Amino acid sequence: MNISYRCKIGISLIASLGLALFMSGAWAASYSGVVKVGLSTSLSGAAASLGQSGKKGIELAIAELNAKGGLLGKQVKLVSVDDQLSPATGVTNVRNFILEDNVAAIFGPVSSSVAAAEEGIAAQYHVPIFFFISNDVDLTTKHFTKYAFQVVPNTYMEPHAVAAYMIKKGWSRYDTISPNYSFGRSTVKQFLAGMKKYGANINIVGQQWPKLGESDYTNYIPAILSKHPDAVFSGLYGGDLITFTKQAKGFDFFKKIHNNFYALFTMGALKALGKDAPVGVIAANRAPFYAIHTPGMSLFSTAYHNKYGEWPSSWAVMGYTAVQTWSQGVEKAHSLAGNKVSAALSGATVKTIRGPIYLRACDHQGDVREYVGTLSQKINPKYGFRVMDHVYAPNPKKIMMTCAQTLAMQPH
Amino acid sequence: MYGLTQLFSGLTTAALLFLVAAGLTMIFGGLRIINVAHGSFYMYGAFIVSSLVGTALTSSAHATALFWTALIVAPLVVAALGALTEYLVLRPLYGREHLLQLLATFALFYIFTGVSLLFWGGQYRSISIPPMLQGHLTVLGATLPVYNGFIMLIAVAVGLFMWWLLQRTPLGWRIRAAVEDPEMLAAMGTNVRGLFTGVFTLGTFLAGLAGAIVGPTQSVTTGLGAQILVSAFIVAVIGGLGSVAGAAIGAIIIGLSQAAGVLWAPQFESAFIYVAMILVLAIRPSGLLGVPEQ
Amino acid sequence: MMDGRGKIFTHGAVPLSLASALVVFAILGFVLSPRWLFFFQGVFELGLFAVATNLLIGYGGLVSFGQASFYGLGAYVVALGWLHYKIPFWILFLLAPVFGAVTALLVGMLALRARQLYFALLTLAFSQLFFTIAHQWYHFTEGSNGVFGAMVPRILTAPQHGYWFILGVSVIAIFLLWLVTISPFGLTLQAIRENRKKAEAIGINVYRHQLYAFVIAGAFSALAGALFVVHDQSAYPALLDWIKSGEPILMIMIGGIGFFLGPLVGAVIFQFAHNFLIEYTHVWELVLGLILLVIVLFAPDGLLGLLDSRHRGEVREKMHSRLKRVFAFRNNRPGSKR
Repeated sequence: MNISYRCKIGISLIASLGLALFMSGAWAASYSGVVKVGLSTSLSGAAASLGQSGKKGIELAIAELNAKGGLLGKQVKLVSVDDQLSPATGVTNVRNFILEDNVAAIFGPVSSSVAAAEEGIAAQYHVPIFFFISNDVDLTTKHFTKYAFQVVPNTYMEPHAVAAYMIKKGWSRYDTISPNYSFGRSTVKQFLAGMKKYGANINIVGQQWPKLGESDYTNYIPAILSKHPDAVFSGLYGGDLITFTKQAKGFDFFKKIHNNFYALFTMGALKALGKDAPVGVIAANRAPFYAIHTPGMSLFSTAYHNKYGEWPSSWAVMGYTAVQTWSQGVEKAHSLAGNKVSAALSGATVKTIRGPIYLRACDHQGDVREYVGTLSQKINPKYGFRVMDHVYAPNPKKIMMTCAQTLAMQPH
Repeated sequence: MYGLTQLFSGLTTAALLFLVAAGLTMIFGGLRIINVAHGSFYMYGAFIVSSLVGTALTSSAHATALFWTALIVAPLVVAALGALTEYLVLRPLYGREHLLQLLATFALFYIFTGVSLLFWGGQYRSISIPPMLQGHLTVLGATLPVYNGFIMLIAVAVGLFMWWLLQRTPLGWRIRAAVEDPEMLAAMGTNVRGLFTGVFTLGTFLAGLAGAIVGPTQSVTTGLGAQILVSAFIVAVIGGLGSVAGAAIGAIIIGLSQAAGVLWAPQFESAFIYVAMILVLAIRPSGLLGVPEQ
Repeated sequence: MMDGRGKIFTHGAVPLSLASALVVFAILGFVLSPRWLFFFQGVFELGLFAVATNLLIGYGGLVSFGQASFYGLGAYVVALGWLHYKIPFWILFLLAPVFGAVTALLVGMLALRARQLYFALLTLAFSQLFFTIAHQWYHFTEGSNGVFGAMVPRILTAPQHGYWFILGVSVIAIFLLWLVTISPFGLTLQAIRENRKKAEAIGINVYRHQLYAFVIAGAFSALAGALFVVHDQSAYPALLDWIKSGEPILMIMIGGIGFFLGPLVGAVIFQFAHNFLIEYTHVWELVLGLILLVIVLFAPDGLLGLLDSRHRGEVREKMHSRLKRVFAFRNNRPGSKR
């Protein structure tokens, strides 16, 4: 018994020694001809459709970059890992990217909560991180680091753009319905702030705050209708918006409020809803490929369609622009080093498929446009879903926070 | 009549919760198993209907026929999956620690979630409501969407069927007896193991049916099962685990109080369901109609 | 239980194992790459969480499905104290287990009124309630986004220092928990688990003992939550939800519920599976589920149960009698004849 006991201890000692060697990272090899970049995003769970779509845009951008000879003579290799929609997993992924894979840049997650967790870690190691789906304005203000860049209209810009659009309609009695969490609350708050800023005097007749991921809106819909609002502003999106739309149709909701309803009807939601998508309501989109008329965009959407057999969502478009932003930063800096790339991009203008993007030096927010319009009567025969008509994309300057405002909110 | 409209809405919520909780509480009553994978069976019901029907409906007669077929086929497929699960995973665990059974269904929950991602991907899906169930009725000046009325009808039908099955048939008598004294039942010549398979299959059939019926009112994604699971648990616990009548009462309490919460205390609405459960269990530690534990 | 020299996994050798683990891992701190330093930070902190939970589940026979309430609370105490009141980290770190204990006292007073599975479900309801509050009270908790920032002293954010700190605190805390299990109180707790009625008959105040156990587990779970903040520098609502509550139970079952150090082994396996599966597949849930199912069906005593095969029969028997009472609702359960 004693022998077997000692034996066991001996074996475990040897095993742990081997393991320690393995874990000490002494074997790690570096590839000279390859530069790695990391993508930690939601590939499973409730946000999988956004994450997977964004990943396709990134993959296409990197494939095209490599076909043109890569970056500074090196081929770019993408490492992508699921973040399970969890900040802890996102942090682990980002650390592994940096410490293990030696990545030159990181492309950010779907959730703003995960993004906030990753932003600080990336800065600790001086690696640039690009947010292209998560869009909380806090990421460029309260949590700002000089290694973070945002190439998606943020949660300040989007509701301000919608306000700029809706103010022209002259409606005065408003109701709001928005998921009861940070994004839903701040979207409504900024929309109301925008209405005020642009000079409207509106009357809030009611406000609804269903929980995020609500599966049953039958209690909320009559509550809104009973207030007889002129228009309804909603912060619903994705699965929640699909559920709301279907249940609202049963109450003839859209007809009763004359389609004066706003929500973030993204392509994924419109494709899922198909014929059930409400006609004539107001929608916003952060990067609708069909409404952006640049030669780059038409080349991109064709290439994307050829590769994946579907049209690119806004997440794919913005994933593509995120890679373009980073690669031009590398070219400007003539270096892959994180601090040089970040410095080169700060206050720079990059050329992307959605047109030139100016990355403000004060907060690294790109001056990207937000697109607002009404959902078309007919399903577009070429694309297979309803697109937006009468698209309005206000000048980003009009809808962005001023640099003085962001600087006041940033940590010092 | 806004008040009546709101009452209908509360009852719709109740019907929906009852449909999911009924199978959950029945499996618990018959097998003493907390089935964490119940939400997954519900999700599969919705996914199968979405694959069969989808949104690409063209001619209305065809659409309606397809919808009714899917409504029958989906729960049957889910029930078959349930029977297989019971046979392969749960049967070896009967008579073992309940913690192990709980963990087994926890493992199944993970497995079913992963499989759904493989089969159906991460995209949102949506199921069209057939034309004959679209639109709304006006009852005493209140609005009731036709499909919500349909959900309530199905819930009532399921409730009546289960009452009849458990109280008025020899099978129901055996199920109740199996809970009380399985050894006696086996001695009297009943195949207890077969009976358990039957109960689990029926429970998962109900989960699949709930998913198929409720699916058209929601977006269908991989997260569907986890969302409804906690609410259904609370309904079953408030009513008393194992009691179908209790589940009905629990569903009505939660449904109506959510409707009232939206009206009067919207900011506390999402916390309310947990407070309700804590209050009920603080007063009656085995739920409203549950049997006290020893 | 304290007799055999060979029983390296049973609790006679717990202090020895802990001491040697402390020495070995402290030395490993010099050679491990940062990635593995962070990996083991997670293992130690989750391991403490699981060992604390096992005081309830394994020793007390009380299956709490809401330990994330206290784990998350510990993390939030550190994060919110920093965010709103600028209280120094070290004070917050000591306050976290105090908050955990007080909250556990209040929750336990109510939850312990219910028995068995209803107790499990009540603790689950509390955990979901705290989750909802953290989610909705966004003025104070920052809502779903959670709290991020420089809440941990710079010295601890260096991977090596954080590693040693978490290692030291966890080992000391686990040693204290072990002292609890061998104390007269711990033995009474196990006696109650084995036969509640007999315990009551000889005049033991069952409710009070179980409440104390709940408070101790709550305090150490909160300490583990505070260590999580050292590891991750954040606090957010998912630290409070039912899936987080399920994690220590998974670790306990993977390692072996019948062993004091079983949950630690479970924590290593869990953390490894969790961190590495996602690198290879986005259907990690499928693989994790299959692993769990195999353990449930073929190794119900956990991995230590497999290794310690000589005592398998003994452990199984002990476990069986233990868990029979944990979950026995009535005298007759389906197929209870064996």
